[in-house]
Amino acid sequence: MSGRAFESFMARIYVDAGARARFRENPRAEAQRAGLSEEECSALENTDFVGLEMAARSFARKRQMKQQKGFLFSARRLLRRFFTDRAALFRRP
Amino acid sequence: MNAFHDRLGLGWRADLAAGILSHLDRIDLLEVIADDFFSAPRREVRALKTLSSQVPVVLHGVGMGLASCAPVETKLLENMARLVEQVRPQFWSEHLAFVRGGGMEIGHLAASPRTRDTLDGAAENLSRASRLIGSKPIMENIATLINPPGSTLSESAWISAILDASDCDLLLDLHNVYANGLNHGYDPGDFLRQIPSARMGVIHIAGGEFISSPDGRQRIVDDHLHDVPDPVFELLEEAAAISPNPLTVILERDGAYPSMDCLLAQIELARQALARGRARRTALQEVLL
Repeated sequence: MSGRAFESFMARIYVDAGARARFRENPRAEAQRAGLSEEECSALENTDFVGLEMAARSFARKRQMKQQKGFLFSARRLLRRFFTDRAALFRRP
Repeated sequence: MNAFHDRLGLGWRADLAAGILSHLDRIDLLEVIADDFFSAPRREVRALKTLSSQVPVVLHGVGMGLASCAPVETKLLENMARLVEQVRPQFWSEHLAFVRGGGMEIGHLAASPRTRDTLDGAAENLSRASRLIGSKPIMENIATLINPPGSTLSESAWISAILDASDCDLLLDLHNVYANGLNHGYDPGDFLRQIPSARMGVIHIAGGEFISSPDGRQRIVDDHLHDVPDPVFELLEEAAAISPNPLTVILERDGAYPSMDCLLAQIELARQALARGRARRTALQEVLL
Protein backbone atom coordinates (compact mmCIF):
# COMPACT_ATOMS: atom_id res chain seq x y z
CA MET A 1 0.00 0.00 0.00
CA SER A 2 1.21 3.54 -0.72
CA GLY A 3 0.72 4.72 2.84
CA ARG A 4 0.78 8.48 2.35
CA ALA A 5 -1.92 8.48 -0.32
CA PHE A 6 -4.05 6.21 1.85
CA GLU A 7 -3.64 8.48 4.89
CA SER A 8 -4.49 11.55 2.79
CA PHE A 9 -7.62 9.78 1.57
CA MET A 10 -8.66 8.89 5.14
CA ALA A 11 -8.01 12.45 6.35
CA ARG A 12 -10.28 13.81 3.59
CA ILE A 13 -12.98 11.26 4.40
CA TYR A 14 -12.88 12.27 8.09
CA VAL A 15 -12.99 16.01 7.39
CA ASP A 16 -15.09 16.45 4.24
CA ALA A 17 -18.74 15.40 4.74
CA GLY A 18 -19.39 15.43 0.98
CA ALA A 19 -16.48 13.11 0.23
CA ARG A 20 -17.63 10.88 3.08
CA ALA A 21 -21.15 10.66 1.67
CA ARG A 22 -19.79 9.75 -1.79
CA PHE A 23 -17.49 7.18 -0.18
CA ARG A 24 -20.38 5.60 1.72
CA GLU A 25 -22.40 5.47 -1.50
CA ASN A 26 -19.66 3.82 -3.54
CA PRO A 27 -16.43 3.12 -1.61
CA ARG A 28 -14.52 1.60 -4.52
CA ALA A 29 -15.30 4.41 -6.94
CA GLU A 30 -14.30 7.12 -4.45
CA ALA A 31 -11.07 5.30 -3.59
CA GLN A 32 -10.28 4.82 -7.29
CA ARG A 33 -10.95 8.52 -7.94
CA ALA A 34 -8.27 9.27 -5.30
CA GLY A 35 -5.81 7.10 -7.21
CA LEU A 36 -5.55 4.35 -4.59
CA SER A 37 -4.33 0.90 -5.57
CA GLU A 38 -6.60 -2.07 -6.19
CA GLU A 39 -5.56 -3.56 -2.84
CA GLU A 40 -6.42 -0.31 -1.03
CA CYS A 41 -9.76 -0.01 -2.81
CA SER A 42 -10.67 -3.53 -1.72
CA ALA A 43 -9.60 -2.82 1.87
CA LEU A 44 -11.81 0.27 1.97
CA GLU A 45 -14.89 -1.67 0.88
CA ASN A 46 -14.89 -3.33 4.30
CA THR A 47 -14.99 -0.02 6.20
CA ASP A 48 -17.16 0.17 9.31
CA PHE A 49 -19.31 3.06 8.08
CA VAL A 50 -21.09 3.55 11.40
CA GLY A 51 -17.75 3.87 13.21
CA LEU A 52 -16.49 6.16 10.46
CA GLU A 53 -19.42 8.55 10.83
CA MET A 54 -19.10 8.57 14.64
CA ALA A 55 -15.36 9.22 14.45
CA ALA A 56 -15.84 11.99 11.86
CA ARG A 57 -18.42 13.74 14.05
CA SER A 58 -16.15 13.46 17.07
CA PHE A 59 -13.28 15.01 15.06
CA ALA A 60 -15.56 17.82 13.85
CA ARG A 61 -16.45 18.68 17.47
CA LYS A 62 -12.76 18.75 18.38
CA ARG A 63 -11.97 21.09 15.46
CA GLN A 64 -14.81 23.38 16.53
CA MET A 65 -13.54 23.44 20.13
CA LYS A 66 -10.01 24.25 18.92
CA GLN A 67 -11.37 27.11 16.80
CA GLN A 68 -13.23 28.55 19.77
CA LYS A 69 -10.17 28.19 21.96
CA GLY A 70 -8.04 29.92 19.32
CA PHE A 71 -10.53 32.79 19.06
CA LEU A 72 -10.59 33.28 22.84
CA PHE A 73 -6.79 33.21 22.95
CA SER A 74 -6.51 35.89 20.24
CA ALA A 75 -9.18 38.06 21.85
CA ARG A 76 -7.41 37.84 25.21
CA ARG A 77 -4.09 38.78 23.61
CA LEU A 78 -5.62 41.78 21.81
CA LEU A 79 -7.28 43.00 25.01
CA ARG A 80 -4.02 42.68 26.94
CA ARG A 81 -2.15 44.66 24.25
CA PHE A 82 -4.85 47.35 24.24
CA PHE A 83 -4.64 47.89 28.00
CA THR A 84 -0.83 47.71 28.01
CA ASP A 85 -0.67 50.39 25.28
CA ARG A 86 -3.16 52.62 27.16
CA ALA A 87 -1.16 52.27 30.35
CA ALA A 88 2.02 53.23 28.46
CA LEU A 89 0.26 56.28 27.02
CA PHE A 90 -0.66 57.56 30.48
CA ARG A 91 2.86 56.92 31.81
CA ARG A 92 4.40 59.14 29.09
CA PRO A 93 5.97 62.35 30.51
CA MET B 1 5.36 5.89 46.83
CA ASN B 2 5.43 2.08 47.28
CA ALA B 3 8.35 -0.39 47.22
CA PHE B 4 8.12 -0.52 43.42
CA HIS B 5 8.53 3.30 43.26
CA ASP B 6 5.18 3.72 41.52
CA ARG B 7 3.85 7.28 41.32
CA LEU B 8 0.46 8.86 40.84
CA GLY B 9 -0.19 12.10 39.05
CA LEU B 10 -2.83 14.28 37.48
CA GLY B 11 -3.22 16.13 34.20
CA TRP B 12 -2.58 19.84 34.73
CA ARG B 13 -5.59 21.91 33.63
CA ALA B 14 -6.04 25.63 34.33
CA ASP B 15 -9.49 24.96 35.85
CA LEU B 16 -7.92 22.59 38.37
CA ALA B 17 -4.87 24.72 39.22
CA ALA B 18 -5.99 25.96 42.65
CA GLY B 19 -7.11 22.49 43.75
CA ILE B 20 -3.92 20.86 42.49
CA LEU B 21 -1.60 23.39 44.15
CA SER B 22 -3.31 22.98 47.49
CA HIS B 23 -3.05 19.16 47.37
CA LEU B 24 0.49 18.57 46.14
CA ASP B 25 1.08 16.29 49.13
CA ARG B 26 -1.21 13.73 47.42
CA ILE B 27 -0.07 14.22 43.82
CA ASP B 28 3.38 12.94 42.84
CA LEU B 29 3.61 14.63 39.44
CA LEU B 30 1.75 16.72 36.88
CA GLU B 31 1.25 16.09 33.17
CA VAL B 32 1.07 19.26 31.09
CA ILE B 33 -0.31 19.44 27.52
CA ALA B 34 2.75 20.68 25.64
CA ASP B 35 0.82 22.06 22.64
CA ASP B 36 -0.93 24.60 24.90
CA PHE B 37 2.45 26.28 25.43
CA PHE B 38 3.93 26.23 21.92
CA SER B 39 2.66 29.74 21.16
CA ALA B 40 1.90 30.88 24.68
CA PRO B 41 3.12 34.27 25.96
CA ARG B 42 6.51 34.19 27.67
CA ARG B 43 5.03 34.80 31.10
CA GLU B 44 2.93 31.60 30.79
CA VAL B 45 6.01 29.56 29.91
CA ARG B 46 7.81 31.19 32.86
CA ALA B 47 4.91 30.13 35.10
CA LEU B 48 5.26 26.57 33.78
CA LYS B 49 9.00 26.65 34.52
CA THR B 50 8.23 27.78 38.06
CA LEU B 51 5.71 24.97 38.42
CA SER B 52 8.25 22.41 37.18
CA SER B 53 10.75 23.63 39.76
CA GLN B 54 8.24 22.89 42.53
CA VAL B 55 6.72 19.59 41.38
CA PRO B 56 7.80 16.94 38.84
CA VAL B 57 6.31 17.80 35.45
CA VAL B 58 5.99 15.72 32.29
CA LEU B 59 5.04 17.09 28.86
CA HIS B 60 2.36 15.44 26.75
CA GLY B 61 2.07 16.28 23.04
CA VAL B 62 -1.12 15.83 21.05
CA GLY B 63 -0.47 17.31 17.61
CA MET B 64 2.58 15.72 15.99
CA GLY B 65 0.94 12.74 14.32
CA LEU B 66 4.03 10.58 14.65
CA ALA B 67 2.45 7.28 13.55
CA SER B 68 2.27 8.32 9.93
CA CYS B 69 3.96 7.54 6.63
CA ALA B 70 4.42 11.29 6.17
CA PRO B 71 7.47 12.86 7.83
CA VAL B 72 6.57 14.83 10.95
CA GLU B 73 6.82 18.60 10.44
CA THR B 74 10.15 19.97 11.65
CA LYS B 75 8.44 23.02 13.15
CA LEU B 76 6.42 20.78 15.49
CA LEU B 77 9.55 18.99 16.64
CA GLU B 78 11.31 22.33 17.21
CA ASN B 79 8.37 23.56 19.31
CA MET B 80 8.64 20.52 21.54
CA ALA B 81 12.45 20.75 21.66
CA ARG B 82 12.25 24.40 22.81
CA LEU B 83 9.68 23.61 25.50
CA VAL B 84 11.64 20.59 26.74
CA GLU B 85 14.73 22.79 26.95
CA GLN B 86 12.84 25.45 28.92
CA VAL B 87 10.80 23.24 31.26
CA ARG B 88 13.15 20.26 31.71
CA PRO B 89 10.34 17.71 32.16
CA GLN B 90 11.01 14.24 33.51
CA PHE B 91 9.97 12.92 30.09
CA TRP B 92 7.81 13.83 27.12
CA SER B 93 5.16 11.75 25.42
CA GLU B 94 3.05 11.64 22.26
CA HIS B 95 0.47 9.43 20.55
CA LEU B 96 0.55 6.54 18.12
CA ALA B 97 -1.79 8.32 15.74
CA PHE B 98 -1.95 10.46 12.63
CA VAL B 99 -3.61 13.85 12.77
CA ARG B 100 -3.35 15.20 9.22
CA GLY B 101 -2.96 14.04 5.64
CA GLY B 102 -2.87 15.64 2.21
CA GLY B 103 -2.87 19.11 3.79
CA MET B 104 -6.01 18.45 5.87
CA GLU B 105 -6.02 18.73 9.66
CA ILE B 106 -8.25 16.03 11.14
CA GLY B 107 -8.45 17.94 14.41
CA HIS B 108 -7.73 15.04 16.73
CA LEU B 109 -5.96 11.70 17.03
CA ALA B 110 -6.95 9.31 14.24
CA ALA B 111 -6.03 5.64 14.22
CA SER B 112 -3.42 4.88 11.57
CA PRO B 113 -3.95 1.89 9.31
CA ARG B 114 -1.98 -0.83 11.10
CA THR B 115 0.35 -1.77 8.27
CA ARG B 116 4.05 -2.26 7.62
CA ASP B 117 4.09 1.21 5.94
CA THR B 118 2.79 3.11 8.97
CA LEU B 119 5.01 1.04 11.23
CA ASP B 120 8.10 2.05 9.23
CA GLY B 121 6.90 5.66 9.01
CA ALA B 122 6.37 5.81 12.78
CA ALA B 123 9.81 4.34 13.46
CA GLU B 124 11.40 6.94 11.16
CA ASN B 125 9.45 9.82 12.74
CA LEU B 126 10.30 8.64 16.25
CA SER B 127 13.96 8.41 15.36
CA ARG B 128 13.93 12.00 13.99
CA ALA B 129 11.97 13.29 16.99
CA SER B 130 14.39 11.66 19.42
CA ARG B 131 17.40 13.14 17.63
CA LEU B 132 15.99 16.65 17.38
CA ILE B 133 14.46 16.84 20.85
CA GLY B 134 17.28 15.01 22.57
CA SER B 135 15.26 12.28 24.27
CA LYS B 136 12.91 9.50 23.21
CA PRO B 137 9.18 10.07 23.64
CA ILE B 138 6.96 7.65 25.52
CA MET B 139 4.26 6.64 23.06
CA GLU B 140 0.57 6.29 23.85
CA ASN B 141 -1.99 3.91 22.37
CA ILE B 142 -5.15 5.75 21.27
CA ALA B 143 -8.88 5.07 21.48
CA THR B 144 -10.78 4.76 18.23
CA LEU B 145 -14.42 4.47 17.25
CA ILE B 146 -13.46 2.85 13.95
CA ASN B 147 -11.19 -0.08 13.35
CA PRO B 148 -8.81 1.59 10.87
CA PRO B 149 -9.51 0.33 7.35
CA GLY B 150 -6.63 -1.22 5.46
CA SER B 151 -5.04 -2.70 8.59
CA THR B 152 -3.05 -5.88 8.17
CA LEU B 153 -1.77 -6.16 11.76
CA SER B 154 -3.56 -6.43 15.09
CA GLU B 155 -3.37 -3.38 17.35
CA SER B 156 -1.12 -5.14 19.87
CA ALA B 157 1.23 -6.48 17.16
CA TRP B 158 1.46 -3.05 15.48
CA ILE B 159 2.18 -1.23 18.76
CA SER B 160 4.72 -3.84 19.88
CA ALA B 161 6.54 -3.67 16.54
CA ILE B 162 6.76 0.16 16.64
CA LEU B 163 8.10 0.12 20.21
CA ASP B 164 10.62 -2.50 19.19
CA ALA B 165 11.74 -0.65 16.04
CA SER B 166 12.01 2.73 17.78
CA ASP B 167 13.21 1.52 21.19
CA CYS B 168 10.54 3.74 22.78
CA ASP B 169 8.54 2.89 25.88
CA LEU B 170 4.76 2.70 26.07
CA LEU B 171 2.35 5.10 27.67
CA LEU B 172 -0.47 2.64 28.17
CA ASP B 173 -3.84 4.36 28.26
CA LEU B 174 -6.05 1.85 30.01
CA HIS B 175 -9.32 3.61 29.20
CA ASN B 176 -8.32 3.46 25.52
CA VAL B 177 -7.67 -0.28 25.87
CA TYR B 178 -11.03 -0.72 27.59
CA ALA B 179 -12.87 1.40 24.99
CA ASN B 180 -11.21 -0.29 21.99
CA GLY B 181 -11.88 -3.71 23.50
CA LEU B 182 -15.57 -2.92 23.74
CA ASN B 183 -15.79 -1.03 20.43
CA HIS B 184 -13.94 -3.66 18.41
CA GLY B 185 -14.76 -6.85 20.25
CA TYR B 186 -11.62 -8.00 21.99
CA ASP B 187 -10.70 -8.78 25.58
CA PRO B 188 -8.69 -5.88 27.10
CA GLY B 189 -6.98 -8.38 29.42
CA ASP B 190 -5.65 -10.31 26.39
CA PHE B 191 -4.39 -7.04 24.90
CA LEU B 192 -2.45 -6.32 28.10
CA ARG B 193 -0.80 -9.71 27.96
CA GLN B 194 0.12 -9.28 24.26
CA ILE B 195 2.09 -6.05 24.62
CA PRO B 196 5.64 -6.12 26.03
CA SER B 197 5.32 -5.53 29.78
CA ALA B 198 8.96 -4.40 29.96
CA ARG B 199 8.01 -1.39 27.79
CA MET B 200 5.25 -0.28 30.15
CA GLY B 201 6.38 2.78 32.05
CA VAL B 202 3.50 5.22 32.19
CA ILE B 203 -0.23 4.62 32.45
CA HIS B 204 -3.19 6.90 31.77
CA ILE B 205 -6.54 6.39 33.42
CA ALA B 206 -9.67 8.31 32.44
CA GLY B 207 -13.40 7.94 31.89
CA GLY B 208 -15.68 8.10 28.89
CA GLU B 209 -19.28 7.69 27.88
CA PHE B 210 -21.33 4.84 26.47
CA ILE B 211 -23.31 5.89 23.42
CA SER B 212 -25.72 3.94 21.26
CA SER B 213 -24.58 3.86 17.67
CA PRO B 214 -27.05 3.77 14.74
CA ASP B 215 -26.35 0.04 14.26
CA GLY B 216 -27.78 -0.57 17.75
CA ARG B 217 -24.44 -1.37 19.37
CA GLN B 218 -23.02 0.38 22.39
CA ARG B 219 -19.69 2.11 21.90
CA ILE B 220 -17.51 4.06 24.28
CA VAL B 221 -16.33 7.57 23.48
CA ASP B 222 -13.09 8.36 25.28
CA ASP B 223 -14.09 11.92 26.21
CA HIS B 224 -12.24 12.33 29.54
CA LEU B 225 -15.37 13.99 30.92
CA HIS B 226 -16.39 11.18 33.25
CA ASP B 227 -15.04 9.35 36.29
CA VAL B 228 -12.74 6.37 35.83
CA PRO B 229 -14.93 3.25 35.55
CA ASP B 230 -14.25 0.11 37.64
CA PRO B 231 -12.98 -2.02 34.68
CA VAL B 232 -10.15 0.50 34.19
CA PHE B 233 -9.08 0.09 37.82
CA GLU B 234 -9.20 -3.69 37.28
CA LEU B 235 -6.94 -3.31 34.23
CA LEU B 236 -4.61 -1.15 36.32
CA GLU B 237 -4.33 -3.96 38.86
CA GLU B 238 -3.49 -6.37 36.01
CA ALA B 239 -0.88 -3.99 34.60
CA ALA B 240 0.75 -3.64 38.03
CA ALA B 241 0.78 -7.42 38.40
CA ILE B 242 2.68 -7.93 35.12
CA SER B 243 4.90 -4.85 34.85
CA PRO B 244 8.48 -5.20 36.10
CA ASN B 245 9.00 -1.41 35.95
CA PRO B 246 8.12 1.43 38.31
CA LEU B 247 4.82 2.78 36.99
CA THR B 248 3.74 6.39 36.69
CA VAL B 249 -0.07 6.53 36.67
CA ILE B 250 -1.73 9.75 35.52
CA LEU B 251 -5.42 10.61 35.84
CA GLU B 252 -6.70 12.62 32.85
CA ARG B 253 -9.76 14.84 33.07
CA ASP B 254 -10.56 17.36 30.34
CA GLY B 255 -13.82 18.96 31.47
CA ALA B 256 -17.06 18.60 33.45
CA TYR B 257 -14.72 18.87 36.40
CA PRO B 258 -15.89 17.31 39.65
CA SER B 259 -14.67 18.48 43.05
CA MET B 260 -10.98 18.10 43.86
CA ASP B 261 -12.01 15.57 46.53
CA CYS B 262 -13.58 13.42 43.82
CA LEU B 263 -10.40 13.52 41.69
CA LEU B 264 -8.25 12.74 44.72
CA ALA B 265 -10.58 9.82 45.54
CA GLN B 266 -9.95 8.42 42.04
CA ILE B 267 -6.21 8.79 42.54
CA GLU B 268 -6.62 6.92 45.81
CA LEU B 269 -8.54 4.12 44.05
CA ALA B 270 -5.69 3.93 41.52
CA ARG B 271 -3.20 3.70 44.39
CA GLN B 272 -5.19 0.80 45.86
CA ALA B 273 -5.40 -0.98 42.47
CA LEU B 274 -1.63 -0.60 42.06
CA ALA B 275 -1.09 -2.00 45.56
CA ARG B 276 -3.28 -5.04 44.81
CA GLY B 277 -1.42 -5.70 41.55
CA ARG B 278 1.99 -5.28 43.15
CA ALA B 279 0.99 -7.65 45.98
CA ARG B 280 0.05 -10.29 43.39
CA ARG B 281 3.36 -9.73 41.59
CA THR B 282 5.32 -10.09 44.85
CA ALA B 283 3.41 -13.26 45.79
CA LEU B 284 4.08 -14.78 42.37
CA GLN B 285 7.79 -13.94 42.55
CA GLU B 286 8.00 -15.55 45.99
CA VAL B 287 6.38 -18.73 44.66
CA LEU B 288 8.78 -18.81 41.70
CA LEU B 289 11.78 -18.37 44.01
